[in-house]
Amino acid sequence: MMALTGARPRRFSGRFNPPAAVWVVLLLFCVFALAVPRFASVGNLENLLRVGSILGIAACGQTIVLILGGIEFSFGASAALASVVTVLALPSAGVTGGFAAGAASVLLVGLVNGTLVARFSLPPFLVTLGMLMVAGGGAAVLAGGLPIDAPPSDAFSWPARGRIAGIPVPILAAAASFALLHLLLAHTRAGRLWYLVGANGTAARLSGITVWRSVLAGYLLAGAFCALAAVILTSRVASGQPGLAPNLPFETIAACAVGGIPLAGGQGRAVQTLCGVLVIAMLNNAVVLLNLPVAYQQLMIAAVILGAVMLQQAPRLLLLLPVRPARQPEEDRS
Amino acid sequence: MSARLLRRSADGLRAAGSTLPIPFRVAPLCLILAVAVFAATTPRFLSLGNAANIGAQVWVLALLAIGQMFVLATRGFDISVGAVAALSSVCAAMACNGWGLPGLAAGALAGLICGLVNGALVGTLGLQPVVATLGSLIAVRGLSLLITGDGQVVPLDAAGAVTRLGFEPMPVLPAASWAALVLAVGAALLVGRSLAGRRILMAGSNPEAVALVGVDTRRVQLWAYGLCGLFAGLAGVLMTVRAGSGLPTEGAGMELQAIAAAVIGGTALSGGIASVAAVVIGAAFIQVLLTGLNLQGVSPFVAQIAVGVVIIASGLLETLLRSLPSFHSQSRTRT
Amino acid sequence: MTRTAMTRQTRGDPAKIWTLEVSGIAKNYGATCALRNASLRLRPGKVHALLGENGAGKSTLVKIVVGAIQPDRGRIALNGVPTRFAGVGRAIAAGVIPIYQHLSLFPHLSVLENLSAFAIAGATGLRARPALVPRATARAWLDAVGLGCDLDLPVERLSVGERQLVEIARGLGQRCTLLVLDEPTAALTHDETDRLFGVVRRLCAEGTAILFISHKFDEIEALADDVTVLRDGVAVIDAEPLASLSRAELVRAMLGDTVETGDRALPQPGAPVLTATGLRLGPTDAPADITVRAGEIVGLAGLVGSGALELAAALAGARPVAAGTLAVRGEALPPGDRVRAVAAGVGYVPADRHAEGLFGPLAALQNASSSTVALFSRGGLLRPGGEAAALMPWLRRLDLHPFQPERPAAGFSGGNQQKLLLSRNLAVPDLQVLVVLEPTRGVDIAARETIHDALVEAAGRGVAVVVASSDLDEVMALSHRILVVRHGSLDGELPRGTGRAALMDRLAGRRAA
Repeated sequence: MMALTGARPRRFSGRFNPPAAVWVVLLLFCVFALAVPRFASVGNLENLLRVGSILGIAACGQTIVLILGGIEFSFGASAALASVVTVLALPSAGVTGGFAAGAASVLLVGLVNGTLVARFSLPPFLVTLGMLMVAGGGAAVLAGGLPIDAPPSDAFSWPARGRIAGIPVPILAAAASFALLHLLLAHTRAGRLWYLVGANGTAARLSGITVWRSVLAGYLLAGAFCALAAVILTSRVASGQPGLAPNLPFETIAACAVGGIPLAGGQGRAVQTLCGVLVIAMLNNAVVLLNLPVAYQQLMIAAVILGAVMLQQAPRLLLLLPVRPARQPEEDRS
Repeated sequence: MSARLLRRSADGLRAAGSTLPIPFRVAPLCLILAVAVFAATTPRFLSLGNAANIGAQVWVLALLAIGQMFVLATRGFDISVGAVAALSSVCAAMACNGWGLPGLAAGALAGLICGLVNGALVGTLGLQPVVATLGSLIAVRGLSLLITGDGQVVPLDAAGAVTRLGFEPMPVLPAASWAALVLAVGAALLVGRSLAGRRILMAGSNPEAVALVGVDTRRVQLWAYGLCGLFAGLAGVLMTVRAGSGLPTEGAGMELQAIAAAVIGGTALSGGIASVAAVVIGAAFIQVLLTGLNLQGVSPFVAQIAVGVVIIASGLLETLLRSLPSFHSQSRTRT
Repeated sequence: MTRTAMTRQTRGDPAKIWTLEVSGIAKNYGATCALRNASLRLRPGKVHALLGENGAGKSTLVKIVVGAIQPDRGRIALNGVPTRFAGVGRAIAAGVIPIYQHLSLFPHLSVLENLSAFAIAGATGLRARPALVPRATARAWLDAVGLGCDLDLPVERLSVGERQLVEIARGLGQRCTLLVLDEPTAALTHDETDRLFGVVRRLCAEGTAILFISHKFDEIEALADDVTVLRDGVAVIDAEPLASLSRAELVRAMLGDTVETGDRALPQPGAPVLTATGLRLGPTDAPADITVRAGEIVGLAGLVGSGALELAAALAGARPVAAGTLAVRGEALPPGDRVRAVAAGVGYVPADRHAEGLFGPLAALQNASSSTVALFSRGGLLRPGGEAAALMPWLRRLDLHPFQPERPAAGFSGGNQQKLLLSRNLAVPDLQVLVVLEPTRGVDIAARETIHDALVEAAGRGVAVVVASSDLDEVMALSHRILVVRHGSLDGELPRGTGRAALMDRLAGRRAA
């Protein structure tokens, strides 16, 4: 029935369309390269990326959840849970088994989050906040409240310190994560469904999309990204820490926001998250190199995050131009 | 299906319910349940001393939760309250050392300023609440470190006189608890009886409509976040009073407990409803849980898990209960 | 009720001083020009109708009048005094009271608080109590619109119609110089509408000027004294007495020189495709049996609240039902399951396209392809170009304008958004049934023709089409037969060619002789 004559199939995606955050990244890089000694050295950049990779991988998961119109607060606590579970499982399950057990615990948290959001329509904010407490409390109970050291071994520290072809494993893992995220979002059916569900859940249901399945898959995949980040983090700290990475969820949200992803859902691209992560990673790295007191570091990070987000959301405001109300489609309701 | 089962049991709950708005019933229920369980299992739990202890301890969390309630009621979110409380605690201690007891008010002022900055970021500049308050969370922590020289506790010169306010029972409660109680009553009046409170509820109830009836939305948000900051500041002052020193690194993690207390206290996450009494009861529930488990010799982290479970459970209950009236009455009238 | 006629301050001939005089208004949204040269002149004590097609700039002009947005250019004078309202609050303080077509009530707050919303917004001081309307006054306001509900009930417990009445009561109760009624009757029954008009006439008698926006000519003719017609942001009829204009002249002014299309030739119906047996919306509704054949267009008509839209939605599996079965070409379909329905080839265009149809931030193309994502993906991967190949022909045929498939759907006009929803369903392979609610609500005349053509064309390719619309002309023009819906269930059937008056009678429950 479909008349295909006259259709000129064109590729619409794939055209490079840089987000505004790219300019923030470039600007910040130039400023730091000029103003911060040793910033632009290869060794430092490698270090910057290695440190930023954990944030990057977790931010990939946060991106999916934000596109779905949700928000994920339980990342930090589930990473902590993973580190504790990993270290506890080490003696019996070995290094691989330990990491697998840790990753499984994060996936379990993701599964619970996804089930509660998808099947019971609970607000994501509430669910992930509750799971933050459950997972964080669980980690502390398992560990008895104190960090437990892992016996040092090369295999255990490989995810954080190993290299493949001279490139640090965390950087490779982060690169692979972003590639996967881009593939998922731009080129898979699952990714497309996330956008549709996030933009308008009711419309998605009426279009014949099984909304709950899409949401559940999204939270599970977010959990998978977080699990990968948790493995690398656990390997790096070489211990099970119930208080590990308490700010991870906030940093990932900040990274997405700095990249220009609105928290309202239905929008966001992998490259935006990448830009946001790079901004925060460069910033963290530069304040360390500058050897500023922690207080100034924090003030600077706050200023850049807020500044970058304002630049995204209200560029005219920053330039002190009169703010124009957002364009509304005219008279399309009755 | 499980959802149907839950709905049916929710129906039963409604039938048994009182005239109190549904969401506000969760907190008292939790509190009574927790008290009953601990009273039955822990011998010393029901002692007068323990009750007084809980009654004195609960107020830091309660004040934070009351502040958070104002913001949640406008469909906002403030994750900086813990950091703001710490900064206020330090400011209060420093000012108290300089000017004596009246200096404690500086803590409240510091909190108010932080809150107004948040309100300006969210209301005037239109930033997402999570991002804006995350920014101020980091900045406020930095400020606390800055003014204390990297996180040193600020000891009070008149620590004895100040902590007496926090611990020595005046008639029944210590002065600080009386003050917190008065503040809570003030907050309740603000929500229930004041114009600002009514506008906050309106903004949360229907964000699109509130500007259409002539309310300045930005000013309402400024108010809500300002109040949140003020109450966080007051919580910080209370922390100083009870500890006898300014605590620049205290309060991390308190924001989550505060949100938890507000949520258990029935502050609808969809905005528009709030009850100070229920929020205080929510905070008391968390405190009872912490103290009771402590008396039992159980790890306090179990309490954290319990709070997490209660948050999710209260959400489940609330969505189910709230879906019921609309389920019955709006079956046809969709135009 | 105490109300002083504030407009009596005009001395001398009241016709010489306008209550509201708006002239030379221009307003641009980015590159789009909403208003070019709009004007509006309202006499005290008269009802002034504002007419115009969707997109003509009516709502922009109304928003400017009530202070919700600022014009780029132009002059506004209230009672002869040049004014510019910095916000809705200022306009309300000056006596310009809006009654909105979209409900601006606060569901968690009580009826009393909602009635007091303007006062709460405008009051100064600390306490809320003085800003609340006295209970007796509030009761009187509700009585005036015939609503007898508990003042302390949260508004979320009221039905949509009752909420509309609360909204109206709130507006009518204010001391006002100018009352702005923006399509107030959409959710009202005839009795409620009559009562509203009674109150409006009384306000007029007291000297209040009324700005009345409506699409319904009958209402306008019943109520209005003067009329202004907007077309493309320009006042083409500027404050002329309604009596001097015929309905045809008004329509021509609204539409410009559009050719009226005649009757469409409808295809010959074939074998039954969609069968619904014993369908009950609610447990108390009478069961409905509906059969729609291939190539047949069945219209569902009913007054607002009759359940016509709901019944149509249930036919598409978009709404759970109390009882009954659905089958497509003999295959049973569980009611209320859109996923299975789409798989069985049942398309659906919802009535509220913003809430239930559109993916605002996503590109037009992605909106159009949302029901067929599976079609152009293989092994979970989207085939490059597959989406465009499948959907572009439909977008072209439906004449998407501007033809920018990459543009976010929110940026299109209502008519083009509706085309996106339609193409979403037309692109479903093996489409058997197409259920369309309010196909052209808020849609301009050209898009309306295109959409009607597309529906007839779909029927021509053997699809069973169900059209439910509150626009009776639309139902009459498109349907092979019209099913009348009253009180949530079927109440007879009318053949094609039934006159408008006969249809109206049946909708209102009067049997034709």
